[in-house]
Amino acid sequence: MEKSDQFSGRLGLVFASIGAAIGTGNIWRFPRMVGANGGGTFLIPWLIFLFAWSIPLVIAEFALGKRSRTGTIGTFRIFAGKNYAWMGLWTAWISTAIGFYYAIVAGWCLKYFSLGLTNGLTNVDTTQVWNEFLQSGSQVVMFQFIVILITIAAIWKGAKAIEKANVYLMVSLFILLFMTLGLSLWMDMADGTLDGFLFMFSVDPELLLEPEIWINGLSQSAWSCSAGMGMAITYAVYMRKDEDTVLNAFTMGLANNSISIIAGLAVLSAIFAVSSDPLAVVTGGSSAITFLALPEVFSQAPGGEVGAWLMMVGFFLALTFAALTSMISTVELCVRNFVDHGFERNKAVLITTVAIFIFGLPSALLWIRMDAEGVAFPEFLEVQDHIWGFGLMFSGLFIAFSIWKYGWRRFRAKVESGEAKPSIEGYLEHGVPAFRDDFINTGDNDIEVGKWWDALIYIAFPLLFIVLLLSYFGNLIFSYDPWYTAFDPSDTHGAGIVFMFWGVVGISFIFFNKKLAERPVFRNVPEGADCDISTLPGGEDELVVEVGEVAPGWEHLSRDKDEIVEAILDDAILDAEIA
Amino acid sequence: MSQVTIQQPPKARLALVVILPLLLSVFAPIASVFAEEETSSQANFAVETGALPEELWSDDYSNRIFPWGGDDREQFRAYHDYFTMKERMQYLADRNPDILEFHEGLKGGTNARGVEKTADSYEGWYYGHSTPWLKITGNVQGGEYNEFVGDNGNYADRPDILLVGTHHAREWMSYEVPMLFLETLVFYYGKAGIDNDGDGLIDEDPWGDADGDGILDDDGDCLKLNNTDTNGDGISCGPGDLGVDEDFSEQWITDLVNNHEIYLIPMLNVDGNRYDREEFCGENAWENCASSGWRKNLRDNTVTGVTPIPDVDESVDEGCDGVDLNRNYQFEWGAPLGATGPLFPGVCYAGGPNNDVYNGPVNYEDNDGDGLINEDHVDGKDDDGDGQIDEDWLGGNTEPETIFIQDLTEMNDDDGDGASDFKVTITWHAYSELVLYPWGHCTNCETTDHEQLIYHGDKMAEMTLYENMQSSDLYPTTGDFCDWHYGVHGSYCYTIEIGTAFHQQPDDINHIAVRNLGVPFYMIEISDAPRDRADLGMSNMSRQWLASPEDVKIPDTGSIPIELCLDDSFPYTLNLNKTHTMWRLVKPTRQQSDYGPTEWIEEDWQRTAFTESEDKCTLADGDVNGSKLVANIPVPDDESGIVHYKSMLGTTSGLSLLEYPEYGQYYVLDIVYRAPYGHLGTALFLFVIVATFVWGGLGIALREMLSDGEESLAAAGAEKSGGAGKK
Repeated sequence: MEKSDQFSGRLGLVFASIGAAIGTGNIWRFPRMVGANGGGTFLIPWLIFLFAWSIPLVIAEFALGKRSRTGTIGTFRIFAGKNYAWMGLWTAWISTAIGFYYAIVAGWCLKYFSLGLTNGLTNVDTTQVWNEFLQSGSQVVMFQFIVILITIAAIWKGAKAIEKANVYLMVSLFILLFMTLGLSLWMDMADGTLDGFLFMFSVDPELLLEPEIWINGLSQSAWSCSAGMGMAITYAVYMRKDEDTVLNAFTMGLANNSISIIAGLAVLSAIFAVSSDPLAVVTGGSSAITFLALPEVFSQAPGGEVGAWLMMVGFFLALTFAALTSMISTVELCVRNFVDHGFERNKAVLITTVAIFIFGLPSALLWIRMDAEGVAFPEFLEVQDHIWGFGLMFSGLFIAFSIWKYGWRRFRAKVESGEAKPSIEGYLEHGVPAFRDDFINTGDNDIEVGKWWDALIYIAFPLLFIVLLLSYFGNLIFSYDPWYTAFDPSDTHGAGIVFMFWGVVGISFIFFNKKLAERPVFRNVPEGADCDISTLPGGEDELVVEVGEVAPGWEHLSRDKDEIVEAILDDAILDAEIA
Repeated sequence: MSQVTIQQPPKARLALVVILPLLLSVFAPIASVFAEEETSSQANFAVETGALPEELWSDDYSNRIFPWGGDDREQFRAYHDYFTMKERMQYLADRNPDILEFHEGLKGGTNARGVEKTADSYEGWYYGHSTPWLKITGNVQGGEYNEFVGDNGNYADRPDILLVGTHHAREWMSYEVPMLFLETLVFYYGKAGIDNDGDGLIDEDPWGDADGDGILDDDGDCLKLNNTDTNGDGISCGPGDLGVDEDFSEQWITDLVNNHEIYLIPMLNVDGNRYDREEFCGENAWENCASSGWRKNLRDNTVTGVTPIPDVDESVDEGCDGVDLNRNYQFEWGAPLGATGPLFPGVCYAGGPNNDVYNGPVNYEDNDGDGLINEDHVDGKDDDGDGQIDEDWLGGNTEPETIFIQDLTEMNDDDGDGASDFKVTITWHAYSELVLYPWGHCTNCETTDHEQLIYHGDKMAEMTLYENMQSSDLYPTTGDFCDWHYGVHGSYCYTIEIGTAFHQQPDDINHIAVRNLGVPFYMIEISDAPRDRADLGMSNMSRQWLASPEDVKIPDTGSIPIELCLDDSFPYTLNLNKTHTMWRLVKPTRQQSDYGPTEWIEEDWQRTAFTESEDKCTLADGDVNGSKLVANIPVPDDESGIVHYKSMLGTTSGLSLLEYPEYGQYYVLDIVYRAPYGHLGTALFLFVIVATFVWGGLGIALREMLSDGEESLAAAGAEKSGGAGKK
């Protein structure tokens, strides 16, 4: 690694992080959640948790990444300590494991864009089109491959390229979505009721008393903002020195929700305009809405064939762009960790994308099943999602943990110097607030983050985490009769298989932590980005160095990296053969 | 370079461990792919014909292994004897104290005829056993205690049924069938939703021809076999063949047990059976006694010839001893038409030819104390014109076994109406593959329930493929169990002649028993009102209908009316407990998997009463005079999804007989969201709030950022695309 890398300006960072946050979840999951959770009622918890969960977490991620100047592994190593680098590995792994099948999903979107382009979605049986596509392995893999090629092209050259790709894609996405929204509202108005709009913004106060609505609001907010996924940590590595992390976090979160509302309104208006039972349409599974219902709805767009064509192309291109930008951040998150550990960027990109392609193949090809209504669905992919999707929660918890840990360290120091009382009150007063003082309210911010943030990290965060975890697994486990059969690990939809995979991965990561800590980490500190390692907890770790510096005992890494990487890979192959 | 080589091994492991979880994530699911492939290939076989049993069903079912396990006896590959049978009955009763209570004989006391009895009144003449039996009902330890009988679990509102095997000692299948019934009942009780045959379907093939297409194999899986006559009885896909009537409803069995009192006597004639097995034929009776054997009990007839006195010291005189228990009951006992009676009633001489149908000694008592003897024998008529019926009998009910049946029958009166509670009874015999209904004592005669008896007999003949006929059409008998039970107690009584030999080959026990398994369950089900059920079954009820989903008119708002159209003479009740519509909402979950099929939650069933409508409805056959009932099920307007519904129909006589659609099934009705989606005013209000927060907030943030970063923008701005930020 010759030199450090950075975004050209703050808009670059903002667009990249918005791109990471906005994904298919905004466009296909959000309308479904609104439909299933009482329309406008759902917007209330969803908005509250934007401010109570997603934005505070993203603030923390930006603050961490901006200081550590490394990917997730290095960040946890620096802030939580040498023994906790595995938490970063977990975070990276979850994101990458999701990437395995996300590339396929992005490929579906691309396929539907191409179908829309060639009028392949009008006057057809959409179920048949979907089933034929999903059952044709070569098609699915081809589009998966194209998505990965595009991703490689976007990130090959580093931060500046990522920024450029995201700016183009995001701006196009805004324009396309607005166009679709316009057509949808036109459709909805045409029948004189505007009921899609009414439904989306009408509150049923009784529903607000149902915990499920709140839990779904929280999970939608957390998932769709990518809060806690490590994306913000990764992109913060390329921040310029004087970035306003708080403002960035707010921009990212609000932009994410803006897009959700636009997409939600577009989808719901269109469906409510033409469907006789719109709620039945929007409450099914996500892929059913997107790939079965919407093409039918769009083909009835105003303006005849032209209108239909515009809507199909506009919507599916927007969807594809949303998926691509998320794919880019997923790959970059993994790549950043390789680069931090001395791999050359090109090699890291290749390793990551090849892995994502190969390990995605089973999800693309295996277990293409038919549901009771005769609609194909990829069960292997679904099982992968079932296993890894919820692992995000732990990534978020780990981020909170590293802040608690940093706060604890500062609190102990203050106790020794007599500035703080050795009590719980003392910790509450001098722990997390110290992180806020040291790394968030640094003077670069227009908005001062107040004590509310401490309270959220201390109390709301673990509480919400437990609520989410209990409700998710509680529902899962008690849908089984008797309940303990949910723990049968051979049941691909049970809780047992999730815990088994988490357990094996988590334990091998913890075991691997020692090896990880023996390697040097190279911080990406661009010129003028003043964040001296000595001000961070990881300052004592002599293996944490800046790009271009030499780690003691690892001089060879700075000399001839290509050779070393090859040696490592050769050795791995040799080891594998021996095994 | 030496440094490099030293460092390499850990680095290599590093790379490996990085890859390890990747491999893990891929290979573990792949491993289960292969497991899945196997099962799916099995499912594919099912659609082809010429399949092997193990391709269609679980190995256990294909190999006729009953799920309760156990040794050859418990698997019905070898015969029980008295001792092993009793041991098994006790064992099951110990393990299932909630539904089974084990008894031997009766406790005794003053019986219904004012005669004092003690527990030893019911012991066999020769070996001295009291007949073992089981009381079966839900919460058998609850209910009333019957001091004379000695059983708990007597509930006035539960219909009673008496099931009796082995009147005749040598008819060994006639206790194996009740034993299989017992094992089945105990194993499946309380276990709803079992896939008995392991084909992935549940309760898809109950006993008989449930779907009315004339084929017993309702799910059609037997027909896919290469060899469709797996039990070798010459009938393709008949009862007892693999795949026929093999997956009945466990919930139905559970309900039957919970709502009925079942008195199960697998082996009435213990004395005779022991003698047949231990002395007369031997353990392997099927080899030398296939169509012979000991039939009667072991009364000692040789002491005097006129009034026999038991003499237990004497060994059995095979030429003379014993009474045919099924000729000993006290109805038309020894009447002239009893062509099988003794040459001289009550007379048997030592050394004379064995009379296999000897009906027991004549009663010379003056039963009513009027100075006359036998002037009015038991036939339901007032023979002597004195205003009393059947008050001085000729004989019968003289044996410990028949007295046991008599007292159990006559002392079982939970509701205290003075009549026996048994309105349905079965007695198992062997052999001839017949279902026999009364009368037995007369030819060219009919009972007053003739049509109804034929109706139920036909049903049981259908599920066994046996022949249904009047008992006397086979040959006339006097004093048999069914004539007495029907004639004296008005009980619907059937004699089932099982199988093709007195002593079947052990290989045949299993499938013959399976073939006969549906009969007792059917009889339990009809035991609440056998006559009404037959009448309803025979009446043209197929004209009646419950509105199917296509015919349900969902109003724009409010409850959804479900119509039931009944024959105008149908004696329906509107009592909510008997007649109602059951319905439940089925909705998509609020949290769906993003990539999988739609997930649903089923809410609990609710009941809604029917009300009478003034309108008439058109029955299925076009008759426009149907009585219309309507149940308005209160589905909220703001629900969307599916409603499952079915209706229960009870009669004025208090029965809940009918379900629409069929038993255990329901209709599926799609319901749409019917409430208004909201008001424009409030929607706009929320929209403004959300827009202010989200878009307004975004606008402020972006403006802040642009003003903040003007310098850096200016520096790098040229490179930036679209000017998106600048505008």
